[in-house]
Amino acid sequence: MDRILSYFDMLPWFPENTSTFGGELDSLFAIIYWISVGIFFLTFGIMGFFLVKYRYKRDRRGYNYHGNNIVELTWTVLPTILFAWIGLYSDDIWERTKYSSRLPKADVQVLVMGKTFGWQFLYPGADGEFGRNAYTDRDNCRKLITGLNPFGIDSTDPRSMDDFTTENQFKVPVNANVVMHGSSQDVLHSFFLPHARVKQDVVPGTWMNIWYNIFKTGKFELACAELCGGGHYSMRAEYEVLSKSSYDAWVDKKVAEAIAARSPQPTVAPSADTATVASLTK
Amino acid sequence: MSTATIETATPVAHEDHGHEHHHDLPWYRKYVFSTDHKVIAKQFMLSSLFFLFIGGAFALFIRWQLAYPGKPVPVIGSILPATWVTEPGSGIITPEFYTQLLTMHGSIMIFFVIIPFAAGMFGNFCIPLMIGTDDMALPRLNMWSFWLVPPAGLIMMAGFFTDTGYAAAGWTSYPPLSAMTGLEKFTISGQTLWLISVFLVGFSSIMGAVNYVTTVLNKRAKGMKLFDMPLTVWALFITAILVTLGTPVLAAGLAMLFMDNFLHTSFFLPDNLVTSSKYFGGGQPILFQHVFWFYSHPAVYIMILPLMGIVSDVMATFSRKPIYGYKAMVFAIAGIAFLGFVVWGHHMFQSGMNPLLGTTFMLSTIVIAVPSSIKVFNWLGTLWRGNIKFSTAMLNALAFVSMFIIGGLSGVFMASAPVDIYIHDTYFIVAHIHYVLFGGSLFGIFAGIYYWYPKMYGKMLNERWGKLHFVLTFITFNLTFFPMHVLGLGGHMRRIYDPNVYDFLKGLSDVNEVITIGAIGLGFAQLVLVFNVLWSLKYGKRAPRNPWRANSLEWAAPEHPGHGNFDKDITVYRGPYEFSAEGRKSDYWPQWEPGSSKTVNHHTIAVEEETRSFGSH
Repeated sequence: MDRILSYFDMLPWFPENTSTFGGELDSLFAIIYWISVGIFFLTFGIMGFFLVKYRYKRDRRGYNYHGNNIVELTWTVLPTILFAWIGLYSDDIWERTKYSSRLPKADVQVLVMGKTFGWQFLYPGADGEFGRNAYTDRDNCRKLITGLNPFGIDSTDPRSMDDFTTENQFKVPVNANVVMHGSSQDVLHSFFLPHARVKQDVVPGTWMNIWYNIFKTGKFELACAELCGGGHYSMRAEYEVLSKSSYDAWVDKKVAEAIAARSPQPTVAPSADTATVASLTK
Repeated sequence: MSTATIETATPVAHEDHGHEHHHDLPWYRKYVFSTDHKVIAKQFMLSSLFFLFIGGAFALFIRWQLAYPGKPVPVIGSILPATWVTEPGSGIITPEFYTQLLTMHGSIMIFFVIIPFAAGMFGNFCIPLMIGTDDMALPRLNMWSFWLVPPAGLIMMAGFFTDTGYAAAGWTSYPPLSAMTGLEKFTISGQTLWLISVFLVGFSSIMGAVNYVTTVLNKRAKGMKLFDMPLTVWALFITAILVTLGTPVLAAGLAMLFMDNFLHTSFFLPDNLVTSSKYFGGGQPILFQHVFWFYSHPAVYIMILPLMGIVSDVMATFSRKPIYGYKAMVFAIAGIAFLGFVVWGHHMFQSGMNPLLGTTFMLSTIVIAVPSSIKVFNWLGTLWRGNIKFSTAMLNALAFVSMFIIGGLSGVFMASAPVDIYIHDTYFIVAHIHYVLFGGSLFGIFAGIYYWYPKMYGKMLNERWGKLHFVLTFITFNLTFFPMHVLGLGGHMRRIYDPNVYDFLKGLSDVNEVITIGAIGLGFAQLVLVFNVLWSLKYGKRAPRNPWRANSLEWAAPEHPGHGNFDKDITVYRGPYEFSAEGRKSDYWPQWEPGSSKTVNHHTIAVEEETRSFGSH
């Protein structure tokens, strides 16, 4: 029986799941899938049987029968129960994965900004806190957004000093709740992590919550899933899921680079610069 | 039940009417700018067939690129201009042209093939004949509803001759992509032409729909109650109500988007976008999606409900049985139509709409599975204890039911919002829409063409060619679209130019190749249909008045009815599905034939002495 069923099993086509809720989504898919396979064989079986049994014969006559309300009621109520159950069961998972009120406490926060055709990421750096930018201070900083400053970072805010950006690649720690806030600087894009079963359109002018918790280290791909122009297909990024220690090391390195790049020439206020670095390495 | 037909003044008027049109009208009023609903139906059929091939050609370009990315398009590639169309000197289509192709494929197939076929052709042909009247209530409006379509089609296709080519934002035309073309104010671009074109088609739909509603309510033959109407008429009637309620909303959305494009307003454009164009900002991109899907979800039912009606009639006729649960079928159509207006948000689960709305739209969407399954079970019930004749029309109707089951079941996956997270905007959706709109609508359209062609042209379509067309289409259809489910599960996004960019899609290139081979076969199989339609026009067998021995009123009309339709006055005595009634020798009982019956336990039994009385003819 298992062998026979395996011929109809489409689930192995999924890419390997890597996120905590991905397993739930996959098993919900599997539930609906096997129900569908059942309904498929039921209806096609009945249809095939009728087509053969009641095929045209010269001496046969159709059966003048207009239908029966009890039968109608049965095949109204049964699907209603089945589909209502699917709906309610799905809703539970939906609420846990997408509702803003159910957003888990973030271990890592990242801002993501789509553009034609690429992805940019902003990390809060070592203090775990963003400076003023288009996300934290939407009203004042949105007008700072340009091609060179996609997040509208206000560089006068000292908390911005250690915020660092990456382009078309990002790294997250394993087994951590990663909360991303996504937006776009031009047209609609969609943040799609196939392996982590994450998909969320990012819309210019507003910030979308995206979260996931990946339990497997390795390199994976991010794709854009919403048509955004000719280069839509090439709007690809890579991400790496690292162990906690390698992730911390990477953050430290990026923070140092960011501060070095942002800090004024050594002649101007060297003390402030070194003070910031010292506080960060603790 | 009354058996006598009372002479009324109208039939006389009909004859005068028909007479006048046959002799006094110049040829261009008879064949081109005709107000005869049957001529308009034929015009819709021919224009839709024409656009079917255009849209299909676009699809084959897309398929070629996906199966053989970066390889020049065979034969045609060399003659395409080397601007934004192909890479210079290579015949390889560019990513920009690819997005234009997919936009035009979707737009043409939906707005110029399926809607005109389903609502335009069958609505025009079937409604007056099946309710036993001479023409539409508003014939001139009807003529206009067709004559907006060819100019609209030309306007959309004219995008090719603008500097940037066709519209390229998908058939859904989501802003800001569709609004930020980076062009100066008052520039005609493919996108603005697209908007004008769809606006015109919407106008055409509204004019047709107003006409259908008026005609069904006011012009039914004597004695015909609403519940004596065939399901085809019911479905077209309810579809027409959908069109009148939904299309104006789309028109509003299109008008706003047009202004964003042409006048640089900002209905859908937020402030501070990184773009070369100057905008005021302050708009909301998701608003367009709401407005668009408020029409375009009902539009999905506009594209399938008429075919559900047609398939019901075809199945009853060729099973020689009453449709199982006629009233349940009517209520199911009405239920689907009503629910169609409260489910649009299921296209937007991942769009950034509040997830709370996702919950409500998910629940309302899943409820649609209930009337849909009622219909499927009733179709199966119609086959039960029938005497099933596998004519080409019946084969296509059965294909409709079976493909609709698959398309309906795959719809449950994306109705479930959490499952949709992964499959949204992947080929799983593409597979679903094609199972519903090709496997469903187009097989239904084929069934309708084979069924009514005799009444349209007075000739029978060739059954042998018809069956060949059916078998080829059915096999290549499934070869093309079933593997798309697999692509979708593998994560293959829609609308991407080259899947090989992604490592996780590398294993799917064989699947893409199989699909393309299937699609090419599917395209060529349609030539058989066109050949059959044209060949039978000249060499087809002469059609008798009622070739399928069916019950509904169109078969009371002459073999090849002229303007005015009927050569005798019609009185309706019973519902359209009295097949194989007890107490009758023949296994059908036309609606127009006098005679009385009684109903015992859901069976119709002819009352002996009255069946022997002479009919009105």
